[in-house]
Amino acid sequence: MAKNSILSKFYNIGPILLLYYLCISEIDTNLEKVFEIFTLNFQIILIYFWVLKRPEVMANGHVFLAGLINDVVMGFPLGISSLSYLIIIFVGTYVRNKSVNTTIASDWFTFLMAMVLSNILFFSLLNNFSDLTFPFSKIGYNMFFTLFMFPIFWLLFNFYQLMLIGNRDA
Amino acid sequence: MSVSRDDFSIAFRSALLQRGGAQKFSVLSLIFLALIIFFLDIYGASFTKPIRGFINDVVYRVTFLASAPTKFFPKASQDISTFLNVREENERLKALVEKYKSLELNVEFLTDENKNLQKILETEYFNKNLSNIMLAKVLVDKNSPFLKSIIINKGTSAGILKGMPVTKDNYLVGRVVETNYLSSRVLLLNDLNSRIPVTLDKGAQAILSGSGLSNPVLEYLPEDYELIEDTNVFASGKDGIFASGTPIGKTNYKGSVDLFVDPNQLSFVTVNLNIQNKGNL
Repeated sequence: MAKNSILSKFYNIGPILLLYYLCISEIDTNLEKVFEIFTLNFQIILIYFWVLKRPEVMANGHVFLAGLINDVVMGFPLGISSLSYLIIIFVGTYVRNKSVNTTIASDWFTFLMAMVLSNILFFSLLNNFSDLTFPFSKIGYNMFFTLFMFPIFWLLFNFYQLMLIGNRDA
Repeated sequence: MSVSRDDFSIAFRSALLQRGGAQKFSVLSLIFLALIIFFLDIYGASFTKPIRGFINDVVYRVTFLASAPTKFFPKASQDISTFLNVREENERLKALVEKYKSLELNVEFLTDENKNLQKILETEYFNKNLSNIMLAKVLVDKNSPFLKSIIINKGTSAGILKGMPVTKDNYLVGRVVETNYLSSRVLLLNDLNSRIPVTLDKGAQAILSGSGLSNPVLEYLPEDYELIEDTNVFASGKDGIFASGTPIGKTNYKGSVDLFVDPNQLSFVTVNLNIQNKGNL
C-alpha cells in the first residue's frame, strides 16, 4: 500500500519534473538540425494540458520557477518566460472553470487562444524592452508547429494520465 | 444576459485569484512578481547585476550536470563508430601526412617570405596579439529557435570581458555578450543579432549578418558586386573587436556563408583576452 502511494506520488510529480528538466537541461524541442523550420514550444503544451486536466499536478509556483530557470538558460530577461507560462495557466484555468466537459478538439482550439495571448505578451515585451531581435518567420513556424503537435502530445499525456494517475476530467 | 456576465466574471476572477490545495500562490500575484523581476532585470538596478550573475553561474553549472546523461549516449555511439573505423582512418591519415609533408616546405618558404614582406611594409604581424588567449569549455549549448548562443566556463574571474572575440582553431565563432563571475555567454555568428564587418578574398568589404539559421548572410556589398561561390570571408577588424584576417567561412551557391566552424558542434573554444571593444555593445 505504502509502495503504491509512493509510486502514485512519483507519477503525480512526473509532469512538473519533466517541465523542470526541459527548462534546465540542454534537451531541446527545437529540431532545426533535422528540419530547418521545425521548432516547438513543448513547455507550453505540457503546462496547458495539465492545467486543464489536473491543475494540482502543475503548481503555479513551480511553473513560475521553471520559467525563471528557462530565462537564465536561454539568455532572456528574467521573468519573461514565467509571465508567458502564467498566461497559459490563466487561460487554462479560465477554460476549466467555464467548461463542463472537454474534448481534444475544444482543448486544441482553446490552446490556440492561450498560445497566441502568451506569445503576443512574450514577444511584444521582448521587442519593446530588450535589445533582442527575432525573425517573425521563426515565431510563426514555432507557433504553427506547437499548435500542430498539440493533439499528439494531448493523446500521450492523456494516456499517461489514464494509466498512471487516474482519470478525473473537468 | 446578466447571468452570463456574472459567469464570465466569476470564472475570470477565479482563474486569477484562486488558491488552495496545491496552488499556494495565485496567478495574479505571480504575474505581478514576474513583471517586477522583468523590469528590475531590464532597467538594471545596481543590486540586480550581481544577483543575476550569481543565479546564472549556479544555473549554468546545474544545466551542465543535468545535460550529462543526454551527452553520454551520442558520445558513446560516436566512440564506438570511431573504434570500428580505426583501420580506414589510419590509412586516410597516412595519406594526409604524406600530403602535408610535401606542403610543409612550401609553408615554411611562404612564412619567411611573408615575414620579410611585412618587415618591408612595417606592419605588425596580426597573430602577434593573439598570444594571450584562453581556452574555455562549452557548458551549455541549448539550441533555441530564437537565440544562437553558448555558455562557456570562464568569466570575469578569468579576465573575460564583454566584447571579447571567441574562436575555435583560429576560426571566428562569435563574441562575448554577457559575463558572470564564473561563466560567460557567447553570441554566435549565426544569431540574428550578430553583425560583423568582413573582407572578401578580392578586398570587397561587407557586413556579415546572422540570419537565425545556420548560415549567416553578407549585406552591404559594393554595388554591382558579383558574389562567387567559394570566396573566403575574413574579419576585417574595422570594428576594433576582431583581429583583421581571422577566417570566418566561405560563400556558397545561395549567397550566404558556410562557416568554417559548425556552431552546433562546439565543445572547446578560445577567447582572445587582448582585444576588447571599447564602445557600447
